[in-house]
Amino acid sequence: MPLHIGGIDISYTNAALMMTIVVVLIAGLLLIATRRARLVPGRLQSVAELAYEFADRMVDDNLGEEGRPFFPFVFSLFMFLLLGNVIALIPFSFSFTAQIVITATLALFVFALVTVVAFVRHGLHFFSFFFPTGAPLIMAPLIVPIEIVSYLARPVTLAIRLFANMMAGHTMMAVIGGFAVALGYFFFLPVLANVALYALELIVAVLQAYVFAILTVLYLRDAIHLH
Amino acid sequence: MSEGKPPDPLARLGERIDQARREQFQRRGSGRGASPQGPLGIAFRIAIELVAALGVGLAIGWGLDRVLGTRPWGLIVFFFIGAVAGMLNVFRAAKEIGRGPPPGQSQGREDRD
Repeated sequence: MPLHIGGIDISYTNAALMMTIVVVLIAGLLLIATRRARLVPGRLQSVAELAYEFADRMVDDNLGEEGRPFFPFVFSLFMFLLLGNVIALIPFSFSFTAQIVITATLALFVFALVTVVAFVRHGLHFFSFFFPTGAPLIMAPLIVPIEIVSYLARPVTLAIRLFANMMAGHTMMAVIGGFAVALGYFFFLPVLANVALYALELIVAVLQAYVFAILTVLYLRDAIHLH
Repeated sequence: MSEGKPPDPLARLGERIDQARREQFQRRGSGRGASPQGPLGIAFRIAIELVAALGVGLAIGWGLDRVLGTRPWGLIVFFFIGAVAGMLNVFRAAKEIGRGPPPGQSQGREDRD
């Protein structure tokens, strides 16, 4: 659905549609699950509580009390990626996490947040992050650019890891699925392989959502406690 | 006879849940920083880490060259800086993975990371 406003292309794409669906699903799941909250949780409520406590522990273990303000962000990020990755496994759906634009946007957002948090908490002292304590001052011209580059590489790795994992999985399934057509009578072999791959993809989908979230948390920890 | 037990079944349930949580927590260590990925995930991670830093270094070098007109020196210098930064990142990632559980709790975990 092409849409141009003021020279900016804001067309409503497949990815946008899937993201809307995912957000609606998360909101719906959590709202329905907690609408009739009982002391002994039912099935849906268990799912919601499990996800919530998982993210809660992730933040708590790594950030402690100071991490409270970031919990909503980490939780939404985790749920968004988790559902996005898992939903992409449903045939004929669209995997927006395999689009580098989207993972890069998320990673840049995390990167900006981490940098801003570090600046707010430490002010100009933040720049000491780029120079390890105890190193001789003569080394500074060499160490500082290296540290800056390695800091700037963070959002890139964050974006590429999620994108590449999802992309690789889906491509692999498509290729092996293609063998089924070529093999004629033995079509069932690649189909069986695909079934196994599907299980693997499910693990990867959940794991990558977790990895993205935990790395966000770890970067936040770096920002809060420099060194 | 029932005086010894807490009269409220819910309180007992809460106690049991707390205890189970504590046990689970001790069993896993604090789980901090340890990566739950398999060997493939680790390989993936390290490869990406190495390439990404190099890419960032090259991008910076190229950009500086365009702005300052110092072609090709920025590219060359930042290529090496990027390579070093990549190795540094790989080293850090490997250290994080290798940290694992504290000694004495390592049984049954070798196969995981």
